[in-house]
Amino acid sequence: MLARVANNLFWMGRYIERSEHIARYLNVNYFSSLDAPNQRSQSRQFVLQSMLFMVGDPEKDEEKTLKENEVLFQIGLDHDTPYSIINNIKYARENANSARDLISTELYEALNKFYHYIVNYSPENFVKSGLHDFTTHVMETTDIIRGKIRGTLLHDPVYAIIMLGINVERATQIIRIINAKYNDALNSQGGYEDKFSKSFEWTTLLKSAESYDMMRRLYKKTPTSVSTLEFLILNPNCPRSIMNCLNEVYKLIKVLDSTTKYNKNSTAFLVGKVRSEFEYKYIEEIEGDFQNFIEKILDDLSQISLKMEKEFFNY
Amino acid sequence: MTNIENKIFSSYQKDATLYDEIFDSEGQIKEVYQKLFSLYGEHSIKDYVNLNSKAKASFFNQGITFQVYGDKETKEKIFPFDLFPRIIDPTEWDIIEKGSIQRSKALNLFLWDVYHDKNIIKDGIVPMELISSSDNYLDQMQGLEPPEGIYNHISGIDIIKHNDGKYYVLEDNIRCPSGVSYVICNRTALKRALFGVFNHYQTYSVTNYAENLLDLLETVKPHGVDVPNTVVLTPGMYNSAFYEHSYLAKTMGVELVEGRDLFVENDFVYMKTIKGPEKVDIIYRRVDDQFIDPLEFNPDSVLGVPGLFAAYKKGNITLANAPGTGVADDKAIYTYMPEIIKYYLKEEPILNNVHTYHCSRPDELEYVLKHIHELVIKPVDEAGGYGILIGNKLSDKEIELAKNQIKATPRKYVAQPIMSLSVHPTYIDDSEEFEQRHVDLRVFTVLGKNKEFVLKGGLTRVALQKGNLIVNSSQGGGSKDTWVLKSI
Repeated sequence: MLARVANNLFWMGRYIERSEHIARYLNVNYFSSLDAPNQRSQSRQFVLQSMLFMVGDPEKDEEKTLKENEVLFQIGLDHDTPYSIINNIKYARENANSARDLISTELYEALNKFYHYIVNYSPENFVKSGLHDFTTHVMETTDIIRGKIRGTLLHDPVYAIIMLGINVERATQIIRIINAKYNDALNSQGGYEDKFSKSFEWTTLLKSAESYDMMRRLYKKTPTSVSTLEFLILNPNCPRSIMNCLNEVYKLIKVLDSTTKYNKNSTAFLVGKVRSEFEYKYIEEIEGDFQNFIEKILDDLSQISLKMEKEFFNY
Repeated sequence: MTNIENKIFSSYQKDATLYDEIFDSEGQIKEVYQKLFSLYGEHSIKDYVNLNSKAKASFFNQGITFQVYGDKETKEKIFPFDLFPRIIDPTEWDIIEKGSIQRSKALNLFLWDVYHDKNIIKDGIVPMELISSSDNYLDQMQGLEPPEGIYNHISGIDIIKHNDGKYYVLEDNIRCPSGVSYVICNRTALKRALFGVFNHYQTYSVTNYAENLLDLLETVKPHGVDVPNTVVLTPGMYNSAFYEHSYLAKTMGVELVEGRDLFVENDFVYMKTIKGPEKVDIIYRRVDDQFIDPLEFNPDSVLGVPGLFAAYKKGNITLANAPGTGVADDKAIYTYMPEIIKYYLKEEPILNNVHTYHCSRPDELEYVLKHIHELVIKPVDEAGGYGILIGNKLSDKEIELAKNQIKATPRKYVAQPIMSLSVHPTYIDDSEEFEQRHVDLRVFTVLGKNKEFVLKGGLTRVALQKGNLIVNSSQGGGSKDTWVLKSI
């Protein structure tokens, strides 16, 4: 496989995955805030700020009143904001275009239809009444696309590269979501019984990661800060957890690098190291030093991405 | 044969001066079309409108589109596709196939001669000025041996049916002829929309193009290579034919590369893969001569590979088509095709040539200037239908302008009698009716070492504007599925 095309496919995977997390974050946070148990969590300003925080564009001026239609447009369909869903889909399709000879017609057609659906979606409708419809479509279609990736591609280096993109991005987005909701939980501590550890925001966080039902099944209790973070960060069986993503990345990198004794400068070596460190983490350690933990894992993931660029995408 | 009742053709207007491919001069449906005609007659025009829009959506969703650049945004458009196929019977196809191979082979021998001993010039058959004044003649190719002596591996020959019922060649395209992917897409689209009509005819499949192309390209691998590594070289995804490039790479199962994916070391060509450099032996390039190597040709080219031509000169790679083939598909050379075929193959030409006047010859220039209103004026070195003037469609002012242009640079122009391209019933969106539209046919041939292949199908292009004779897609043309029958 060409190094340039591999790079494009890696990013195709990342953009597809990214658009899904943004769509779900908008959807879950908007709709769960409508009947949130405390006033702070119900406040529209609070939700809009959280959305901007999640996409990495937080409003610095605390006094400023955010306008709902503006923020939704900015994150959903604005061609001028680099993180918008529409741009993510555009980039994903552009990357797929350059690799049309390697991917299946079915995968391309699914992505292409998705793109046309998004670019033809009326922004007026979206901000007025289309939020649910639009974000649901994005979530469903990204699932279809991932299905086409798994079900119609040869499970070879092409597949491994796309799935690496998906898993690296998933880990990154889950961390961003955890960080955003952690921040919300800190900010929404009010009177009542709503202390940090039992904040309503943990439920929203689990829903934002599509993991609420399974977490309840496992813990059989109302989510707390500790159980939620443990589930989303360390549980290897939760398909959205950081641990699970790292395990996947570890498996996939072996498709590209089949040596058993890794060179210490290789991506496979770095992935193995990050994953091993993670395996021996425990939640109290993480909670005790949360900000540093977040920074460290985000940095590790971007180091993995950079290493891949150097080793495989060099053109 | 009595007239068949047929609702969707009830308002079909037949212009008696045109050669209609499905109706004879008495207005009777021709034999090969009878079954198809009655099958289509089972549909109402409403069904047809519906099928037509579904076929369009299928092209659109598959991303078989080209870009239209507007002021604000670029739009994607599909190439218009017509659901009424063209049928070519076995006897006629036999002539087309043999004639196309004959031309491709003669052109190949001509190219070898032009870049070596120039016997055809010494023998006074083709004038030297025609070669030396051609923009597409490459000095660098002089004396060079392309692997197995093949220059024009892939040729696209444009053929029309005149109102005398005979086939004429309008043009030979032997640089980077495009359109073959549409032959296959048109078939797929028609099968999806009207699957019921296929089992009434014995039609050749068109899906075997890529495997034959790869097979034949591998017969002309560079000397000393055992299992050759083939790639398709594209200018990139913003090129209007990018879909075709990716389609060919995908169906041949080879890499689709851009210039920046390749590099040259010690006169060998490598591509940059995730596992490091990998040697490349055969390059089916869809980048024009001038852009393939900035060291040798256009120094500003970013599409090419520095050092590519040096590797070619050493015989380390095969380029398909070879550089410099453009000298032979020049419209001025075209006029010598009957002589070229006779000279090299000692055969009579199987396909007719359209009589051509050379503005470079004083007596013929005079004729052209006098009869300009009954001629088609063509610049010799333009592709894609650009710059073509049709005499009887010009205003007095435009005629004056054209005359001055021709007088200024006579070498740049040739003229031909206005050929009447045959017409074929074509569904027209605006009127929701079938109407007569002019069509041509591009036939694709592939030459390898002692082997050749002709795709049994070809691309029927339709001029969608009423009365228009120019079928190129860049000029608003569409296309039709083309059936070559195994038997009637």
